Amino acid sequence: MNEKAPKIMMEVKNINLRFGGVVAIQGVSFDIHEGEIRAIIGPNGAGKSSMLNVINGFYHPQEGEIWFDGQKRPSMEPYEVAKTGIARTFQNIALFKGMTTIENVMTGRQLQMNKNIFWQMLRYGPAIEEEVQHRKRCEEIIDFLEINHIRKTPVGSLPYGLQKRVELARALAMEPNLLLLDEPMAGMNVEEKQDMSRFIVEVNEEFGTTIALIEHDMAVVMDLADRVVVLDYGKLLADGTPKEVQSNQAVIDAYLGVPH
Amino acid sequence: MFYKETGQFKSRYKDELAAFPLFEDKIGIGILCVLTFLVIPMFGLPGLNYEFAMGAIMIPCMVFIIMTLGLNILLGFAGQISLGTGAFSGVGAYAFYKFITIFPDINIIIALVLSGLVSAVVGVIFGLPSLKIKGFYLIVATLAAQFFLTWAFIRVAWLYNYNASGAIEGPNKEMFGIIMIGPQSAGMTRYYFVLVTLIVLTWLASNVIRGRIGRSWMMIRDMDIAAELIGIRPLVAKLSAFAFSSFYIGIAGALMVFFWLGAAEAESFDINHSFLYLFMVIIGGLGSITGSYMGAIFVWVVPVLIKEIGKSVFGFDAFVMENFSTILLGAMIIIILILEPHGLARLWQITKQKLRLWPFPY
Ligand SMILES: Nc1ncnc2c1ncn2[C@@H]1O[C@H](COP(=O)(O)OP(=O)(O)OP(=O)(O)O)[C@@H](O)[C@H]1O
Ligand SMILES: [Mg+2]
Repeated sequence: MNEKAPKIMMEVKNINLRFGGVVAIQGVSFDIHEGEIRAIIGPNGAGKSSMLNVINGFYHPQEGEIWFDGQKRPSMEPYEVAKTGIARTFQNIALFKGMTTIENVMTGRQLQMNKNIFWQMLRYGPAIEEEVQHRKRCEEIIDFLEINHIRKTPVGSLPYGLQKRVELARALAMEPNLLLLDEPMAGMNVEEKQDMSRFIVEVNEEFGTTIALIEHDMAVVMDLADRVVVLDYGKLLADGTPKEVQSNQAVIDAYLGVPH
Repeated sequence: MFYKETGQFKSRYKDELAAFPLFEDKIGIGILCVLTFLVIPMFGLPGLNYEFAMGAIMIPCMVFIIMTLGLNILLGFAGQISLGTGAFSGVGAYAFYKFITIFPDINIIIALVLSGLVSAVVGVIFGLPSLKIKGFYLIVATLAAQFFLTWAFIRVAWLYNYNASGAIEGPNKEMFGIIMIGPQSAGMTRYYFVLVTLIVLTWLASNVIRGRIGRSWMMIRDMDIAAELIGIRPLVAKLSAFAFSSFYIGIAGALMVFFWLGAAEAESFDINHSFLYLFMVIIGGLGSITGSYMGAIFVWVVPVLIKEIGKSVFGFDAFVMENFSTILLGAMIIIILILEPHGLARLWQITKQKLRLWPFPY
């Protein structure tokens, strides 16, 4: 990463999000630099997931602006945001349960495939070429995440840790510029967490993918993140390097002091 | 019958993406082709009168398989429920009737495809509510389509060319010098026509399902929120499922009237038929092409056979057998669903898996 002049990939400005009387996010602003791993932390109900939902167009904030690649983004639907190169994984796994691992990963390529219904019906010529070409890419991602052995397994029957990994594979198949990960290591054992951390770092370093990561495990955050945003009760509490954040008194009071 | 998947490594993805990657499956399909193209047309079905075997079992079964495939695409693959199948099949049938009477020289295949397209358009229109509503509310919306359309089939006399009978009836009509439909058409001709149509439509459906568009349906079915965040437009995915499904159902409706029944009234497209097709899909297995075959055959053939056996072996009268077969079918459906909620296709899969491990069950 260029230390002198980091390029701002995404910036949220003064976001306010309410559900009826519940204020989920209140005047939050922060940015994400190109190529960095940006952690978002905070106690339960702080508004972290809501923030990701705002970024990928699932929630529409009542106030605030979202800037992406140097431009103010108009209000967008999730499928439009997907086209701008933003992918994500979910806190509660959201795989396609009726499909196998490879099929789930292939869904990440949908936007890049475009052969029409007539070719699809024949599954011949351009349609099958397209299918094979994207299949190859997906097999590479499956190799990379070491989930070869479950390629043909219906994802519903997989253990939790592997499901999380398949979800990451699906998001990577989109070849996103910005990858949003909502608690990718929740509920994992130490070994699984180490694997997942390694994958996240490799994705960031080898593919140059910018990552925004929600995570409760402070050790992981300190290890992975370049910069950290701390939310609490929907408000921005702190923003800085892991070290700065860790020594911030307000953060210690609100978050680190409380065992999780 | 016991065969194994191991040992047949796929060196190229293209081979793995083929319709029947397993050699044994290819043999099975080959045997089915010989049976349906040669053996059955020559000898009929064992123990049954030839005319009965062809006219009351083979042709309707194939028509209903197409119908079930159509509904399964919508319900099993795209997860959108519909109780309007009967009416959509009617749209195909009436459209076919109008095409062949307005343009007497039209090619039958073209008329059939056009009827499917008309049904697809109507399916899309009545599928529009699916963009806003789900589950029970969508059932009600498709139910409204069912009642509105059957009403139209009775009230809009233009649809049946102002016949006094109110029925649509196939005129004699030939293609390539052979009479294909109408009173003078041969059962054998119609059999082969429906058979080839079934094979083509099955092949096309299995292609679509395994590709980009099929995946978009399953994504919407399994987790619509995630699908949207991956870039699927629910509008496109849902309506394309309604269109593709109704295309099949419309063709099945036209085949039902003009290649099997010979004539039909609005009753042939009523809500009872919608339920019948729903049974076929659920018994066979949601989201399975093989299941569509099994479900349609099971639900159609079992009552017919029970009636036949009751009449010829035990000498019961037709009316008693009619009721008895309905009760028995209902009981069997319940038993199958308790045994395996995923239908006959899953039972078949489990059996195959067990045979694969045979003779070592562990
Ligand atoms: N769709 C919604 N409707 C109503 N309230 C919502 C909705 N989504 C989130 N909220 C509320 O917004 C607040 C923030 O929720 P959010 O899920 O963003 O928290 P979080 O920081 O991700 O917490 P956790 O660590 O538990 O995942 C909560 O009070 C929650 O109840
Ligand atoms: Mg959350």
